[in-house]
Amino acid sequence: MVTAVSDNMFTEDVINDPYTYYGTLREEDPVHYNELYDLWVITRHDDLVWLTRHNELFSSAVFKNDPRPPYPTIYDSDLGLYEFVREYQARQFIQHDRPAHLDMRKVVHGYFTPRSMEEWRPMVKEVISDLLDEAEERGSMDVMRDFATPLPLLIIAEMMGVPKQDRPYIREVAEKLLYVGRGEPWRMQNFSEGISEMIEYVKPLVEKRIVNPEDDFISVLAQGEREGVFSRDQVISNSSLLLLAGHETTINLLCNGILSFIRNPDQYDLLRSDIEGMYVKANEECLRHDSSVKSITRIAAEDVELRDKVIKKEDRIRWFISSANRDPRKFENPDDFDITRWPNPHVAFGAGIHHCLGATLVRVEGQEAFKAFAERFESLHLDTTDDKLEYQPSITFRSLKSLPITWN
Amino acid sequence: MAQERKLKITVDHDVCVGNAMCETFASNTFALNDDRQSEAVNPQGDPLAQVLEAADNCPVSAIIVEDAETGERLFP
Ligand code: HEM
Ligand code: HEM
Ligand code: SF4
Repeated sequence: MVTAVSDNMFTEDVINDPYTYYGTLREEDPVHYNELYDLWVITRHDDLVWLTRHNELFSSAVFKNDPRPPYPTIYDSDLGLYEFVREYQARQFIQHDRPAHLDMRKVVHGYFTPRSMEEWRPMVKEVISDLLDEAEERGSMDVMRDFATPLPLLIIAEMMGVPKQDRPYIREVAEKLLYVGRGEPWRMQNFSEGISEMIEYVKPLVEKRIVNPEDDFISVLAQGEREGVFSRDQVISNSSLLLLAGHETTINLLCNGILSFIRNPDQYDLLRSDIEGMYVKANEECLRHDSSVKSITRIAAEDVELRDKVIKKEDRIRWFISSANRDPRKFENPDDFDITRWPNPHVAFGAGIHHCLGATLVRVEGQEAFKAFAERFESLHLDTTDDKLEYQPSITFRSLKSLPITWN
Repeated sequence: MAQERKLKITVDHDVCVGNAMCETFASNTFALNDDRQSEAVNPQGDPLAQVLEAADNCPVSAIIVEDAETGERLFP
């Protein structure tokens, strides 16, 4: 073993600064066996791309195929709850391999093509403009609470056809489910409660659309049931996947991106000097530089050799987007936030057959959000000190707890 | 089914993420290579409508379709 780094990935240091920890692994032991969690940690850009594109070697059906209990450990008394969570999660198409994955994804992805997303752009702009008007009236904003959290929720709820008055409730339920990747031993209680509430909420919406299809997204899933691709339970599970998949991730993109601009005022000025020319590139650099999703898991479908290590069938694997997107073999000056970077082959959305379905939507949201900030505010400032910024103790998401700002 | 119009199909490998949607929609035209990126292995493999559908369904807009003779841009 070359590295001297500890295998505890949940310490405050690693949570606050994942780049040093996973960067050290990337340089010293890119295919690292983490003994504490019985887990392969993959940190290089080229390995990550190779791995995600070889879906026949690395299964996504982690909940179904991993016989081990979750890590970090949970209370023994919660193992029953874990079974419930596991069964529910296993129905989502993100947790399926081919051929079922392809059939399931085909049902929904027509909704998310670049062309169909453009039709939502005016609505996204309007929501952003309303939220920023409100913030300007108040004169202050916690980007997390007042902007990044309501934005993706309002938009996906609109697309899915969730009634307006129900949106705060969805957020409440989402909170319970957003402990993904956090280490608390009691987290299964939150998950199973959230899942039960979600099922109760979504079920009648689905039932209505099975009988009377509308032109919203839940109706598209319901059509999948009529075509025999989804069972009813799967329609419900996947409705909530889509309702929630975009939350934490989009929130993080917006908060982490704004924070990067605050820390790099020259880049904010650059964006402001040529908004039309820069906003698309700027959004890609925000996706790369401080990525919303830090890591994703797989389970080996057979023995695989990678950089003279042998990953055995059924071993579990976690690939780290945060280190791959800072890999100096792929990016010049990878730690710099540079909105002129182009092309920007980041892997913030993964790659291969599970490449983020929502990527097209997020791009519209991120582009319009950073553009709107640049058009309105001459400069952005933290309304707190840098050392007071805290991150959620998650190994999956790079989530700030709050981001209070002021502006000129 | 082959098609009459000669097409020039380009896949931008700087952006292709290899999710194989193109192959799904026009399986005689596109195939993933060893790096799991898409190649237009037979530009005449499927009817034009199907090729355009494949291009439209690519999540990263990596596919460009042109008329090989006139150079007319058919997608995007
Ligand atoms: C900044 C925002 C986002 C980031 C960084 C992100 C990242 C990712 C990543 C890394 C994956 C790959 C998972 C894997 O390989 O197992 C993924 C998959 C997925 N994402 Fe996103 N995501 C974002 C927003 C969204 C949104 C807004 C939606 C839905 C509206 C969404 C829906 C999905 C779905 C359904 C999958 C599963 C795709 C499949 O298995 O075929 N995501 N996302
Ligand atoms: C409805 C949407 C979703 C729900 C309710 C959900 C819920 C969960 C739950 C309950 C866990 C178990 C966590 C634990 O054992 O501590 C989990 C794990 C995970 N989820 Fe999700 N998730 C959703 C969507 C997504 C999406 C879209 C992504 C990718 C961008 C994602 C990535 C992950 C990862 C990487 C893990 C870790 C798996 C492991 O630890 O073995 N999830 N999720
Ligand atoms: S659909 Fe687009 S991204 Fe996917 S393999 Fe084809 S060209 Fe590549």
